[in-house]
Amino acid sequence: MRLLAVLGIIGMLLLFVWERVDIVRVGYRIEQLKTQKVALQREQDELRVKVSALTAPERIAKAATEKLGMIPPQPGQVVMVRAVEPAPAVGDPSPEVHVAKNERFWRKP
Amino acid sequence: MTGRDSCRGRRIVLAVFLLAGFAAVMGRLVHLQVLQAAELSVRADRQHQKAVTVEGIRGSIYDRRGKVLAMNMEVPSVFGVPASLDNPSGVARDLARVLRVRADEIEKKLRQERNFVWIARKVDPEQGRRLERLALDGIGTVMEGRRYYPKGALLSHVLGFAGMDGQGLEGIERRYDPYLRGEKRQIVLQRDALGRTVFPKGLTEQGPSAGHSVTLTIDEVIQYIAEKELDDAVTATQAKGGVVIVMEPKTGAVLAMAMSPRFDPNSVRGLSADRWRNRVVTDAYEPGSTMKIFLAAAALEEQAMKPRSLINAENGKMTIAGTVIHDHEKAKWITFAQAIERSSNVAAAKIAMVLGDECLFRYLRAFGFGERTEIDLPGEAAGLVKEPREWGRRTLASVAMGQEIGVTALQLASAVSAVANGGWLMRPYVVSEVRDGHGQLVAQVTPQVRRRPITAETSRTLGTILEGAVTAGTGSKAAVAGYRVAGKTGTAQKIDPETGAYSPALSVASFVGYVPADDPRLTIVAIVDEPRGEAWGGTVAAPIFRRVAEQALTYLGISSQEPMKVALAAHTEIGSGIGPGIRPEIRMVP
Repeated sequence: MRLLAVLGIIGMLLLFVWERVDIVRVGYRIEQLKTQKVALQREQDELRVKVSALTAPERIAKAATEKLGMIPPQPGQVVMVRAVEPAPAVGDPSPEVHVAKNERFWRKP
Repeated sequence: MTGRDSCRGRRIVLAVFLLAGFAAVMGRLVHLQVLQAAELSVRADRQHQKAVTVEGIRGSIYDRRGKVLAMNMEVPSVFGVPASLDNPSGVARDLARVLRVRADEIEKKLRQERNFVWIARKVDPEQGRRLERLALDGIGTVMEGRRYYPKGALLSHVLGFAGMDGQGLEGIERRYDPYLRGEKRQIVLQRDALGRTVFPKGLTEQGPSAGHSVTLTIDEVIQYIAEKELDDAVTATQAKGGVVIVMEPKTGAVLAMAMSPRFDPNSVRGLSADRWRNRVVTDAYEPGSTMKIFLAAAALEEQAMKPRSLINAENGKMTIAGTVIHDHEKAKWITFAQAIERSSNVAAAKIAMVLGDECLFRYLRAFGFGERTEIDLPGEAAGLVKEPREWGRRTLASVAMGQEIGVTALQLASAVSAVANGGWLMRPYVVSEVRDGHGQLVAQVTPQVRRRPITAETSRTLGTILEGAVTAGTGSKAAVAGYRVAGKTGTAQKIDPETGAYSPALSVASFVGYVPADDPRLTIVAIVDEPRGEAWGGTVAAPIFRRVAEQALTYLGISSQEPMKVALAAHTEIGSGIGPGIRPEIRMVP
């Protein structure tokens, strides 16, 4: 009985020590993950800045006209189409759209 | 003495020594743990804990469609510890290659008798990574927040910029600094024997909150269109500069605020305040004939004139208070509508005389001239509208022609919007909402009416007259094919700083108007400062209006005419919007 009590106390002590050691170990792991998160966050921010710079309208317009040889649409080439909710009636499968006629939007380059 | 006695004596001596040793240890323990407990506890905390002040990341700025216009990024700042360097010149050479600065400048810093020197602050992340790979002794990096403006010079005058320490210095950055700035908080970190961080003290401790993000009413595409067209016009006319404003007349929301010349807020070092000043709100100028819009509004509202009222234009020449007023076109009898369409100075002076100085002054103030528009941008000027008691003998006629009065481009845009939207003077604004770091709404701006200077009927009548100014008057180059445009040109002579008199060579050319005239969606103000050559508002500024309007209307999907009803063929795909998703196989619906 006495032996069991001693073993119990030693076990409790070992458990306590193990718990303390494990807390410190988990603490290091948490800090490691935090550092990793910060690094990934920085990488994400860097990529966001790059995406934002690459999608600047000025750069896109320049690339479209100079690299791809695109030109602004000529009068009449832009047609606005607005889709209207398709009618639920059976027998008319075509959805209705509105097209603005004779639109002249873009100037000649 | 027997051997047993001798052994016992040694045991006693050993026991005494051991007891003395234990007593000494216990005594020391009591001394440390009880008597010196408080002092040592403080010293231990100092060694194990590190208190650092951390600032939350500065909030981002977005355009109305969520495109990033300004954001913060953590970048490395490079420092040196001169005392620990054996070969400062070699280290300086290595640093110079990576940082692209002169080696002798770095060496000078590294030879200082100090424990810490900054070598370069907020360098590019790639440079930081290269330095990390070099692993130079006595050189280290710390991360700091750096403000980035990924679109470069786009919207630079409105955005402003933030300083090295992240404080807003100009524009939105300055005005909304209390929102954008991250929270500053001191946090305590536990360190082990190697100096590694173990845990923040208390597991529940949170880092500082990030600054709020700000969403603008500005649309980056319309802003680009306005800046491009303005830059092209300024270059073509060799002008000193210019401004373009695009505004929603019904709400007062600013869609674009362009200025030329521009600057890049990513590198403001060496630029003067003159370069980054937002001249749309800070600078007042004599507007010239665009003021006839408000003269006409007053005359119609007071029922002093009707569109068909006849006015003697004196063959384009009239003397007032010893000075002669000229018209561009000579005419005898013209209607009130024609007087505005043709921008007759003589007729404007006569209309002003019918109204009287008090009445005209009252309407100018009602349209917001001489007071700040209360836009959410710093440094706004009120302009200059003198009290009638300060008016000279010629002032009434001068004010009618847009002289002896100072207005800002923003006041003009706001006042013309009131004419466009049925008479309501709206408060212009550039920020639509503020959200916290978790995306929760903190503040939202809604359109705000300041007052109503004219009725809807006057607004409609004046709109018809201003349409005439484009179809048959001085603003013909502002006409946009397929749309009804209302507007007015202005060509104002500038005061020559040397002579103090109006200069025949220096002028400001402007056009203000709105489109579509029957359901105004855009108010556009285009002003070109000191254009050379044929420097009329109708030839220099009106084409800017047209080109900006054409592109902005298309971009916003504002149709000019009644939509044509068509039906798509069964297999036609509807894309996400206009364009490629839709196949052109359409058939007419009867």
